[in-house]
Amino acid sequence: MGWFSSSKSSETLDPTSRQDRQRCWDSRDAYFACLDANNIVKPGDEGNACAETKKKYEQSCAKSWIDYFNKRRVLADQQQGVLTQARTQAESVRSR
Amino acid sequence: MSARSLLSAFSRASSCSFPRRALSTRHAISRPTGGAARLPSVTFACRAYSQQTPPDPSSSTSQDPKQNPLHQTSSGERDRATVGVFTPTAAALFVLTGVGLFFYFRNEKEKLLEQRRKEREDSQVGRPQVGGPFSLTTHKGEPFTEKDLLGKWSLIYFGFTNCPDICPEELDKMSAAVDKLDTEYGPIVQPIFISVDPARDTVAQVARYVREFHPRLVGLTGDYATLKATCKAYRVYFSTPPNARAEDDYLVDHSIFFYFMDPNGQFVDAFGKASTVGDVVERVKKEVARWEREYGRKV
Repeated sequence: MGWFSSSKSSETLDPTSRQDRQRCWDSRDAYFACLDANNIVKPGDEGNACAETKKKYEQSCAKSWIDYFNKRRVLADQQQGVLTQARTQAESVRSR
Repeated sequence: MSARSLLSAFSRASSCSFPRRALSTRHAISRPTGGAARLPSVTFACRAYSQQTPPDPSSSTSQDPKQNPLHQTSSGERDRATVGVFTPTAAALFVLTGVGLFFYFRNEKEKLLEQRRKEREDSQVGRPQVGGPFSLTTHKGEPFTEKDLLGKWSLIYFGFTNCPDICPEELDKMSAAVDKLDTEYGPIVQPIFISVDPARDTVAQVARYVREFHPRLVGLTGDYATLKATCKAYRVYFSTPPNARAEDDYLVDHSIFFYFMDPNGQFVDAFGKASTVGDVVERVKKEVARWEREYGRKV
């Protein structure tokens, strides 16, 4: 199918199929878990540490989805940092 | 006759035509020894009363009641006998009170109605201008316009089939809410999905997509101009480029609210990502109950 242009060699992803979506999400979660285990935030910075899960991820999801999930992971991390900072600030103010 | 003398004549007339009972106290004071209220004693009391008002040049006429056109009760006894307790004063007081009460209550009722109408208007005023005419195609290839929204509550979500995660999540939420409402009311809430990705979301693609969410979910699509116009009417933003091709791999940035519309096709509320299935169900139930109170039916 046309919209899965990034890895034509692998099985195609049908975004209208609940099963296919779930497969993509599962592979993403596995890959991100691997990144977490290696203390890596930005996908692509891990070198070859998560090669296997990454391959599965790229096979199961459309390129646009991968870009979106990866960006969101970085954003979520930044957001987490800001939130933690805000919390510590609020606590220091309270204890003063 | 001057206005002044007319006034004094009236005051005399009204004060002199008191019924026996109404006059009895004053009578007793002026004539403590007086037994039966005969005519002379009453006229005496009458004169005594009228003399309490400032001296009037025309007061001399009261000496002879026959000269006073208003004072027709020259023989006051006959007059009192015919009218009984229902004197002109009492009648006037009665009528005035009646009229006063009538206007008072009418005024109060009007105020209440006005308030109720204003309340109803307020809820209308608070409604955003969301929605409007559109003409799209269902996932079964049938035409679907804004008129097809009438007579049913609807939940409308704008999205695209290639949506990574938010659209499926929101559509699942919407479907779960519709399932719950179905068990409560029967199928009075119509779930609708409108595509914002005309290049890739063909009728067949939308058909494949909607069947996995809810059996009654209607998927709508159309060409770029039609969808853009529909989204504009519904205040939905989307970023699909007009020249996108079906084989392109891109995401569509779009508003992720789903709308809740009433059986008149009027906007009621919008639910965002933070709303839970329970929130949606509660909101719909509240609105259906209000509708039922107003129209006596659920749709």
